[in-house]
Amino acid sequence: MSRLRNALLAGTFAGALGLGIAPAALAQELSFSQVERGRYLATASDCVACHTDIEEGGKRYAGGRGLETPFGTIYSSNLTPDEATGLGRWSRDEFYRALNEGISRDGSHLYPAMPYPHFTKMSREDADAIFAYLRTLEPVTAEIPENALPFPLSIRMSVAGWKLLFFDKEGFAVDPDQSEEWNRGRYLVDALAHCGACHTGKNLLGADKEDEYLRGGTLDNWYAPNIRGGVNGGLADWEAEDIVRFLGEGRSRHTAPMQRMGEVVGLSTQHLRDEDLMAIAVYLKSLDDAPREEAETPSQARFETGEAIYFDNCAACHSADRSGVPYIFAPLDSSNKVTAEDPSTAIRIILGGARAQQTEAVPSQIAMPPFAWKLTDQQVADVVTYLRAASDRKAGPVSAGEVEDMRAHLQEK
Amino acid sequence: MTHYTRRQTLRLMLMAGTALAASRVLAAEYGRGAGMPWSPMSGEVPYYGTGADRFFSRDERLAVAAICARLIPSDEDGPGATEADVVTFIDRQMAGFYGRAQHWYMQGPFAEGTSTQGYQSEHPPAMLYRLALAELDDYCRSQRGGAFAELSEEDQDAVLTGLDEGEIAFERVSAKTFFDLVLENTVEGFFADPLYGGNRDMVGWRYVGFPGTRYDYRDFVGHNGAAIPLEPVSLQGRPGWSQP
Repeated sequence: MSRLRNALLAGTFAGALGLGIAPAALAQELSFSQVERGRYLATASDCVACHTDIEEGGKRYAGGRGLETPFGTIYSSNLTPDEATGLGRWSRDEFYRALNEGISRDGSHLYPAMPYPHFTKMSREDADAIFAYLRTLEPVTAEIPENALPFPLSIRMSVAGWKLLFFDKEGFAVDPDQSEEWNRGRYLVDALAHCGACHTGKNLLGADKEDEYLRGGTLDNWYAPNIRGGVNGGLADWEAEDIVRFLGEGRSRHTAPMQRMGEVVGLSTQHLRDEDLMAIAVYLKSLDDAPREEAETPSQARFETGEAIYFDNCAACHSADRSGVPYIFAPLDSSNKVTAEDPSTAIRIILGGARAQQTEAVPSQIAMPPFAWKLTDQQVADVVTYLRAASDRKAGPVSAGEVEDMRAHLQEK
Repeated sequence: MTHYTRRQTLRLMLMAGTALAASRVLAAEYGRGAGMPWSPMSGEVPYYGTGADRFFSRDERLAVAAICARLIPSDEDGPGATEADVVTFIDRQMAGFYGRAQHWYMQGPFAEGTSTQGYQSEHPPAMLYRLALAELDDYCRSQRGGAFAELSEEDQDAVLTGLDEGEIAFERVSAKTFFDLVLENTVEGFFADPLYGGNRDMVGWRYVGFPGTRYDYRDFVGHNGAAIPLEPVSLQGRPGWSQP
């Protein structure tokens, strides 16, 4: 396609929509295929989840969603091409710099709640495609609330120090010893889908711990489980096909995406091509993990108490032998949430319940009921302790205090 | 009580429908799923009032306890309404929505009805108890020399039989309706989940071998009539849920 035709096409587009795109932008490529590629890549990167105020029914990509970080609330920016409040005046280069270096148009540093430590691995070509797609959105004027951060984090310059310590601006390195599929999967996981933003443990300053890569992380009272699929990994019992179905259909033999991950599957992964999901699965399945440390065993009395609570409350769905019902009720012995070092998610789901994400492939909405009204903190702790001890991947006991804290958190919300 | 005009009702229905439709559109747009709204910590928790719910006066409570004790007696065969604390169940029942007949149509006309037509009294159950118990004690004092609770078991049985068979009539309410209601409530209190105040320690369930609020018997499908060796369990649990 000739440059002239591109410019004409872009001009027509802008003219028809009355976008008032600056001349510099007009010169940029805006071909249909690039926009569609950008749409797909933006979906794979799940930009829409953070950049839409979902809780308040905000416009897609218009930002304003409050992201709860351990350091305070950070509000996402407006990605629509609005002149005053969005990306209207941004150039392609400036957009790439934001993804690649975490620097805003005005030169200030972006808070790493924007996962540029991941997006820095994104190719220039892909970043440009996403930018081209974002240009086609309807501009929405949306002022973004001030971030609620304590001093000195409220000073954006503080991010410069953080970057110095934790931000490696290295691109994506293809591993020539691995297959093309594996490399594609790694690129999707690391550069686009930024799985590690939740599934990798963080240090005290919120940066990824390298040796915790995809071994599970705790965020806003959720524990995002270990998703390494090799020996000893959280997904060791999953076949690659299970991962594909989990991400693509929202159901697998092992579990269904709920709440936070449900959002990711609903907004992002269910729209990805099967070969991309398979690439992700192949990559994850290649990641082995260290053997588990020997877990403390609960007393026989505690084990039996937990077993009694389990049998009376849980077995009707999850089966007396904890094997569940594939695709409907999660098998618990192999659950990477039940047997995680941090039991937050298991405790949280028992207390508050959970609902499986609805997808285009699987529209049914199975839910786990809440047990907060029925079980005491001690009883929840006992049943989780039982499950962790009964599993072939043993994990240590849970205290009533941990349940008490989670209950307080859920009641506050 | 608020009265809605037809126009208000229609408007409310319209608004409710619109709100539902709107949330469905939003949910679908964000890909988070449509359909029924859901939020954590909001399950279908059964309403069971509180232990502080009380309706009966001291004398009423004595009389009801005595009636229950005769309807399901405690004997060598097993525990009765007294062990199950059925009177507490009925007391809470009367203090709650059931006692107020909150879920029933309670406007006239009040015909006698047939036995299959259910409760026909113009009085909500709690008021029926109050009126009937007063007349019952009056009757017992004048005919048997003491309040119902003070009579011998034989006298109590005779009075209850009189109520059941229509030999004793009350002035303000139907004695037979009262008897039928107490009998029904006593059975409920003996077998209902202990959550509601009766069936104390699941004595009713243990007595008949009912395993309680379980709803999955896949493990016993092949048992073909053999006893199921499960401890009964209440919605509030059982002793086995706490460490010894």
